[in-house]
Amino acid sequence: MKPRDLLRLIWANLVRMRGRVVMTGMGVLIGTAAIIVLIALATGLQQSTMGGLSDFGPINQITVLPGAYMQAFGGEGAGFRSDAILTPKKLEGFSRIDGVVTVTPVEQFLGSKTLRFNRLVGSSSILGIDPRAVRDMGIEMERGSDRLNRDTVIVGARVAETFADPRRRESGAENAPDLFGQTLTLEMTRTNDEDRDETRIVKLRVGGVLKERGGQDDNSIFLDIDTFEDLNAWSTGKRVDRRALGYSQAILIVNDPKLMLQIESSLITNEGFYAYSARSTLAALNMIFAIIQAVFGGIGAIALIVAAIGIANTMVMSILERTREIGLMKAVGATNRDVMSIFIGEAGAIGVLGGIGGVVFGIAVSKVIDLIAMAYINAELAASGATSSGGAESIAVIPLWLPIFAVAFALVIGLISGIYPALRAVQLNPVTALKYE
Amino acid sequence: MARRKQASFITIRDLKRIFKLGDTLVRAVDGLDIDVAEGEFLCLMGPSGSGKTTLLNMIGGLDRPDEGVITVNGQTITELDENALAVYRRQQVGFVFQSFNLIATMNALDNVKFPMIFAGVSEVERDERARDLLGQVGLGHRMHHKPTELSGGEQQRVSLARSMINRPKILLGDEPTGNLDTRTGTEIMEIIQRLNQQGHTIVIVTHDPRVSTYATRTVHMLDGQIVADNAAPL
Repeated sequence: MKPRDLLRLIWANLVRMRGRVVMTGMGVLIGTAAIIVLIALATGLQQSTMGGLSDFGPINQITVLPGAYMQAFGGEGAGFRSDAILTPKKLEGFSRIDGVVTVTPVEQFLGSKTLRFNRLVGSSSILGIDPRAVRDMGIEMERGSDRLNRDTVIVGARVAETFADPRRRESGAENAPDLFGQTLTLEMTRTNDEDRDETRIVKLRVGGVLKERGGQDDNSIFLDIDTFEDLNAWSTGKRVDRRALGYSQAILIVNDPKLMLQIESSLITNEGFYAYSARSTLAALNMIFAIIQAVFGGIGAIALIVAAIGIANTMVMSILERTREIGLMKAVGATNRDVMSIFIGEAGAIGVLGGIGGVVFGIAVSKVIDLIAMAYINAELAASGATSSGGAESIAVIPLWLPIFAVAFALVIGLISGIYPALRAVQLNPVTALKYE
Repeated sequence: MARRKQASFITIRDLKRIFKLGDTLVRAVDGLDIDVAEGEFLCLMGPSGSGKTTLLNMIGGLDRPDEGVITVNGQTITELDENALAVYRRQQVGFVFQSFNLIATMNALDNVKFPMIFAGVSEVERDERARDLLGQVGLGHRMHHKPTELSGGEQQRVSLARSMINRPKILLGDEPTGNLDTRTGTEIMEIIQRLNQQGHTIVIVTHDPRVSTYATRTVHMLDGQIVADNAAPL
């Protein structure tokens, strides 16, 4: 039998029993639509979550913290070691790991400070990094140079936005001053041994502005680590011995993505450090969302499996009714394979038709859910007076693979549910089938 | 009338078919031997349960014997597997049944074309051949009618056209006039006789003595065996 003839015959048979096909197909439609809607919601959840967390920072960075840091957070027993300390010697060792381009310590200024630019007051973090590492970090400059020295700093892309006049409380991109080439004033305060407040003022010239790169860097002012150590020593009253106590954080730049996760997990499991990167965080989150999608999809699939039983039932009934016809097919020379193909084909076609209907219906339902949910969310936002940047994203997102997968799944379900009825048809004895009343 | 050829076209030796009905064994065909020449018009007669339909079904490859050998046109069909037997049914035999067995949802033309689907004949040729055959049985004007819109005689003519569509050498009929009145029965038998004259080998099972008048040979069966045969010696 030619494929075209087979398809025509299947179609003619479906048209013949259309009432039942429609009802059986409805079962498949509902199952498929459930899969579409549930996975669309899971995907929407993933996208809005991931979209909200887009500030994971640059993709080629691994941030390393001493093992003691995690122990302090109850990470004991998970392999974090208190002797995992970020000493200069250790950092030197990190830089020799295969795939590591450069390593820099990162220290954040924790003393009491005020940042000023003319009358404006800013609220950025002040970080000390190794000036030799800056070039290799792949940092892109919006303006100026990436050179750091005693009195020159680099500022993140959004540092300017943090500056505002304290009396007018206006900040944001439109009021942001142009800091490039300007001099910021760092006003540090400490309490001395006689319980008296002392103030020291340091001038910092902005030698470069970073391109926006996501993460904490955008809101940070970068200082040469030596300058930083001096300021820190003045502010805290003592100089930290890094060779004994180590830095509080280090950043490794790895330019081979394939080595990223490997280096990261080696730092954790082999050396007892705590390490994280945008890549591993994303990987972990994606894993969670994949599980959510699978669970949601599985719930939809149950509906489809119920529908499969409906298809099998319809086909068995149809074979009973068409017993004589099956006898006739055999008498006029249809092979068992022909008979199999016809009945499995009919079941598969019910699956596909229901599947296509389900995709259309599922997409429509997703859009309706989206409209209602977005209207609700935007109304809530408006009521709470929040000015969300661009409003919330979609609640239900249908990735391109989903409709294709759903129809294919419905087809497979249909084909499988046709096997048993088709086998029954094949096993009919043509002599008795032709006499069946 | 076609001249009977002297070689055997259908050869049956020691054929046995036993059915189990509850606890009893029914010997539907019980050690039967027969030779049918090409172009013969054989009429199988006998009371109900004499095994004539069972014999017909086995010749047509719809049923398999428990013992014995059937050779048709040099091919031992009792040795064929399911697939080869389907091909045999498709190429070598055409069936007509007492109750026509037309597909109710298809019109006459599609019913006639139906067997050619499994033979892989092209759509154009299917249409041509089916129209031609329907014309030959006098239904050229009614080919778009559904079986329910046709009389019994017309339905059996559609069924005859269908049986001939793959150009088989053998026509097998199981009471083809059983559901028809005398006049339409006669019309059908005349068509079958014409097919015989064109060279087809015909085997018809019937209760009706008038049918046997068209045959070149009549065999009477009883209890699965031949009890009378008016054949000329091969």
